[in-house]
Amino acid sequence: MNDRPTAAPRPPRVLGAWWGAAVGVSGLGLVSAFEASARGATREVFFNVEAPWSVYACLAALLGLLTYGLVRHAALWRLGRPAPEVWRDLPSRLRNALRLGLGQQRLGRDRYAGVMHACISSSIVVLTLVTIQVAIEADTPFHPLHGAYYLFFSFYGDLFGLVGLVGVSMAVWRRYFIEQPPRVRWDERIEDHLIIAGLGLVLLTGFLLESARIEVTELSQHPDWAPWSFVGYALARFVRVFAFEPHQLLAFHGAIWWVHLALAFSWLGLIVFTKLDHLLFAPVNAFLLRTDSPGRLALIDFENRPDDEAPFGVGHIQDFTWKQLFELDACVRCGRCTSVCPANIAGQPLSPMAIIQDLKSHLASTGPAIAEHRHEVGGIGRDAVNVQMVGGVIEDESLWACRTCGACMQECPVLIEHVPTIVDMRRFLVMDEARIPATAQAALENLESRGHPWRGTTLERTTWMQGLEDVPMFDGTQEYLYWVGCAGSLVERNLPVTRAVFRLLRESGASFGVLGQEETCSGDPARRLGNEYLYQALAQQLVATFAAKGVQRVITNCPHCFNTFKNEYPQFEGRFEVLHHTEFLERALRDGSLRAVHAVEEAVTYHDSCYLGRMNGQYEAPRAIIEMVPGANLVEMQRNLSRGLCCGAGGGNMWLEERGGQRVNHVRSAEAIATGASQVISNCPFCIQMFEDGTTAVQAAGAERMRPFDVAELLERSVFGAPVAE
Amino acid sequence: MHIVVCAKQILDPETPASAFRIEGDRVVPAPGIAPVLSQFDAIAAEAALRVKEARPVGDRITVLSLGESGAAAIKQVLAMGADEGVLLQDAAFEDGDSHGTALALAAAIRKLGDVDLVVCGRQAADWDQGQVGLLIAESLDWPIVTVAQSVEAISDADLRVRRVLDDGFETVEVGLPAVVTVSNELGAPRYPRLPQLMAAAKKSVAAWSAADLGLATGDVGAAGARLRLARLARPTHESQVEMLTGTAEEQAAALVARLRADGVL
Repeated sequence: MNDRPTAAPRPPRVLGAWWGAAVGVSGLGLVSAFEASARGATREVFFNVEAPWSVYACLAALLGLLTYGLVRHAALWRLGRPAPEVWRDLPSRLRNALRLGLGQQRLGRDRYAGVMHACISSSIVVLTLVTIQVAIEADTPFHPLHGAYYLFFSFYGDLFGLVGLVGVSMAVWRRYFIEQPPRVRWDERIEDHLIIAGLGLVLLTGFLLESARIEVTELSQHPDWAPWSFVGYALARFVRVFAFEPHQLLAFHGAIWWVHLALAFSWLGLIVFTKLDHLLFAPVNAFLLRTDSPGRLALIDFENRPDDEAPFGVGHIQDFTWKQLFELDACVRCGRCTSVCPANIAGQPLSPMAIIQDLKSHLASTGPAIAEHRHEVGGIGRDAVNVQMVGGVIEDESLWACRTCGACMQECPVLIEHVPTIVDMRRFLVMDEARIPATAQAALENLESRGHPWRGTTLERTTWMQGLEDVPMFDGTQEYLYWVGCAGSLVERNLPVTRAVFRLLRESGASFGVLGQEETCSGDPARRLGNEYLYQALAQQLVATFAAKGVQRVITNCPHCFNTFKNEYPQFEGRFEVLHHTEFLERALRDGSLRAVHAVEEAVTYHDSCYLGRMNGQYEAPRAIIEMVPGANLVEMQRNLSRGLCCGAGGGNMWLEERGGQRVNHVRSAEAIATGASQVISNCPFCIQMFEDGTTAVQAAGAERMRPFDVAELLERSVFGAPVAE
Repeated sequence: MHIVVCAKQILDPETPASAFRIEGDRVVPAPGIAPVLSQFDAIAAEAALRVKEARPVGDRITVLSLGESGAAAIKQVLAMGADEGVLLQDAAFEDGDSHGTALALAAAIRKLGDVDLVVCGRQAADWDQGQVGLLIAESLDWPIVTVAQSVEAISDADLRVRRVLDDGFETVEVGLPAVVTVSNELGAPRYPRLPQLMAAAKKSVAAWSAADLGLATGDVGAAGARLRLARLARPTHESQVEMLTGTAEEQAAALVARLRADGVL
């Protein structure tokens, strides 16, 4: 069980710390190298090598191969639609490329992998620099490898060679000896073994080569220089035990030089043919990563369509943007996305990794034919191949199982954005094919004709007001609009939450009003379910209502309305300050306008809703409220904060039947129950409904049922002392 | 084949009873509650589309609706895939009963001329009278098959219809032209594909008046109504709870006695 975090979660610093240590050690080496009397220290480059030019021949071949590979990839990416947004907000993009791409920040989320990968990648970077300096020394008028710098050069070359071997050993240990985490074996291919083994052999032969050279030369001629290449030196001292003849050593050296050369260039050649291409693509993909909120989906312009035949969603590979095609190539099959996917955890038929990989191979296999068709016939070439992508390569049920919770995107070390890609294909299913599971279709029909997603509700949007006096209607004179939402007004369980927020708002002295019957759905469920057309109709209607009412500030009950208002309504010029109720209530507690005076002696656990947490980064306000309630003792779940697991209702799954495996809300309820807390606190009407169902189903017979409550319900008990009279 | 679908826009049957008022002989919904297409009529559209799709290209579907609010019903059926729409709109049609409505629809079907098949919902989901389909057939003097679970054209002139009975199904064949009313057992109506929805929004819908149909204003609408509304009331639900006491056996015996007394058992 995790302890409660004391501050807002920060991105892990493992990798930054690693570079700090590496630079520190190298700095010490540099200082000591200059301290040493090293006048004249150097070595003969290409010692004992008969055809040094062959290095350049290999290099030319490698560059040729890389160019060929890139041209081939680029021809596939170019099949995609334009993505003009990738040239906007360049400073943030460059920052992402540095931090998330080159800095590999995401890798630190799995510490072991983070250290392993930092070892390997820093080793490759430094050893490439080492090799370049050797080339400069050998074949340019510049001769950097002399004197103290030569000794320092010898030192860090060996240091990073060793670091690389540590990284490779960690990889071997994890993949072959402990086989943990299982994700490394989910889609294992021969290339995965080749990459690890190849790099290990390159590093080992490098050291063998160095030790043979040192044994023959420096150990006798300059024994005070030799220890700077500390790994090679140690090996040379070891080799000396066997007292080989110099000609034997020279022959060995000559042979191993060729082996090392061949291995190194072959390994680099893997960049063209294997997932090793992430070495180039991952930093670029970090640059291409969206810089606005991950909670925002792309807008379809229904007025100005590129061509009239164009599908509204993505049903053919060439209807993705080139950015979406590019990121397919960045995928390294690490499986992090799938290992955190709520549907996958529950055993349901969705693996984000498989979706990306299946699309990638679909692109590779059909792309050339599409390109040829375009060249010869013109047009988009949707008829060029006879392979059904959505419904064939990608199954409908995988697309429906997605909760749009964003866990996959949060985890992806190469910054792939799975959710927009999945929703694009849902858009095709809903808008182009009208192939929708019956329950989701009913929800969409309800949204369209009734302005809310529920069929057969017996409640009205004003039912929650019964028993509350003087509920103020918003008329533009109040500071805040309190947005209740469909779930907050039409679902029985959520009415007490709405009342609690209302009572707390009134107690805080806030100036606010509600819309009552004039509320309609924000459109979020329609958008997540793939009906962008319906979403836009609902959203535009509401933007107009808000403008007519003079709404400037909104407090929402529900994180889904919150996310849509905050991140998506600006797409329709609907701009207002949006607060989730927990954000407002935390503020009110801090400035003293609300006082949590009554103790609530309960052990509680807190569930981060995806759209308040991951999508909007608000982890702290709800926790701060719980902390300010006297007596309440917060026990965190294993998966929390940005690693929080979806309740199962996201992405329209409130209205979809779950297929296969367990129910996600049962999995999550079991995790909540495992904390031993008596209540699970959340901030979302859907999460609460899912926990009501889940805790009932999962709880052991006879045990007292864990009860789900909203943060506002907990706070209400603490501020007023008792729940509102029903 | 030319198929006509009759569609009615009704007060949303999903509206909670607390959300409407009764004023005289009218039901007044709360503001913001929009009328919807009667579910059975959406199923009628689905049945017509299935017939059309199973046949060679060339069939047409025309959707008919009566009254101002019917425009939305027509748009919805067009979005599902119907080809044309005609709205019967005239002050003379207002406040009519099933008879007047059927008279107007039958006149429109006659005016269309080449109609082979008329598909209606088994009843409108507001008043649940189930009269209009039958009265259209009567007015046209065509055969009618009611409460269909499936409708299939076996030739240009013959239809095979599977009917829902109380204790099973019955398959009948009928010569065209004919009227069929369909039931929910037929299956869920399709969700409109967006290209069709957008095309439907752009389609112009013809509007025919009573005069266009050659109907006298006294035959239709309130003037021609044969049905008189006696009283309109909101259903009231009352519940009383009586706690039974005693041992489990005594409680069970008392429960049985009470249920027998109330005629439930």
